[in-house]
Amino acid sequence: MKISKKLLALIVVISGIVGFFVVLPVHYVLEETSTDRFCGVCHEMDPMVISYQKDIHAGSGAIGVKAKCVDCHLPHDNLAKYVYQKAVNGIVEGYIHFFGDPDSINWVANLKNKEHYVFDNGCMSCHTNILDTTASSQQAQKMHAHYVKLQGSDKELKCVSCHVGVGHAHDMRNQLEYWKPSYKIYENKMLEQKIKSKQEFFKDEYEPTKQEREFLEKNVKKPANSH
Amino acid sequence: MKRLALLLLSLVTCFSFVFGDTKSAETNSTKIVMSDELKAKYKLKPHHEHLAFDCIDCHANQGDDPSKFKNIKDEGCLSCHGTKKLLAQRLKFMDTLKANPHNSVHDGPTLYCDECHFEHKPSINMCSECHEHEVPQWMGVTP
Repeated sequence: MKISKKLLALIVVISGIVGFFVVLPVHYVLEETSTDRFCGVCHEMDPMVISYQKDIHAGSGAIGVKAKCVDCHLPHDNLAKYVYQKAVNGIVEGYIHFFGDPDSINWVANLKNKEHYVFDNGCMSCHTNILDTTASSQQAQKMHAHYVKLQGSDKELKCVSCHVGVGHAHDMRNQLEYWKPSYKIYENKMLEQKIKSKQEFFKDEYEPTKQEREFLEKNVKKPANSH
Repeated sequence: MKRLALLLLSLVTCFSFVFGDTKSAETNSTKIVMSDELKAKYKLKPHHEHLAFDCIDCHANQGDDPSKFKNIKDEGCLSCHGTKKLLAQRLKFMDTLKANPHNSVHDGPTLYCDECHFEHKPSINMCSECHEHEVPQWMGVTP
């Protein structure tokens, strides 16, 4: 069967239009589910989002560049891998949030797994010339050469192997401790700090949990009793 | 005669270059073979071992004889670890009980690193000297 040129042109145009309207919503959904606001919808992510907001990667720098959560926490070497990993994370994290027990997660202990949660190709998609630049300090150049030397070996390093507090202003451990103290002796103080942190971050939208409300009420009464 | 003098001068210059090079190679050597014996003698902390550090990554410009290496002092540690204030900031939650070892009520962020942390032998916790019973409640093992 011979397809006429007109029909062929029509097929191309229609496929183009259909393709466009398929890609558009997918792109939109990917964009909308990549903001820190979206990630912070699950309250177990509050300490991560709050500490991130204090970091230069949240856009406080002079240039105003802002990295999204997914810019560091998803792979960027391949679009298919990116979408796949995003879908897997969404399902797993969604499941834990709704059906699991996120409160039982030991986030402080999980910090040691940082190399699995941060992707170098994410870092390098912004810091494109970081391994070659001579503008960084001598120590940085020396250590980046060390990183390059180990690439491909069984001792391969990640950016976060050294840059431990990056993206979270070296404050994530503190925020996690406020939420769930590692040491019993700090419990009261940490609750106080947690409330302070949440009030600063959520401002008018701050909704205290039952435990926080009780603590706040007790503390309001305290000064009255002491007089 | 003049030619001979010139030849001698150039020879001396050549020798001094060669000699100079050997000397700088001695003080700046990058060829320390890490034998199992050396590894056992100068154990690294697990976090530094993970980073696959060689001797000279810390002991830069100290020659190639590990037995002659000197303490790298605060300056050496902080060349990677930033500032003492930053280290104090990372454990800010401990400030609430004034138990932050990097910002204590006694010393603030001014202690020498090697008052507690040692690279090639187990670290100690200086707070324990007076607060032996409280320290396990305040913090973990000194890295």
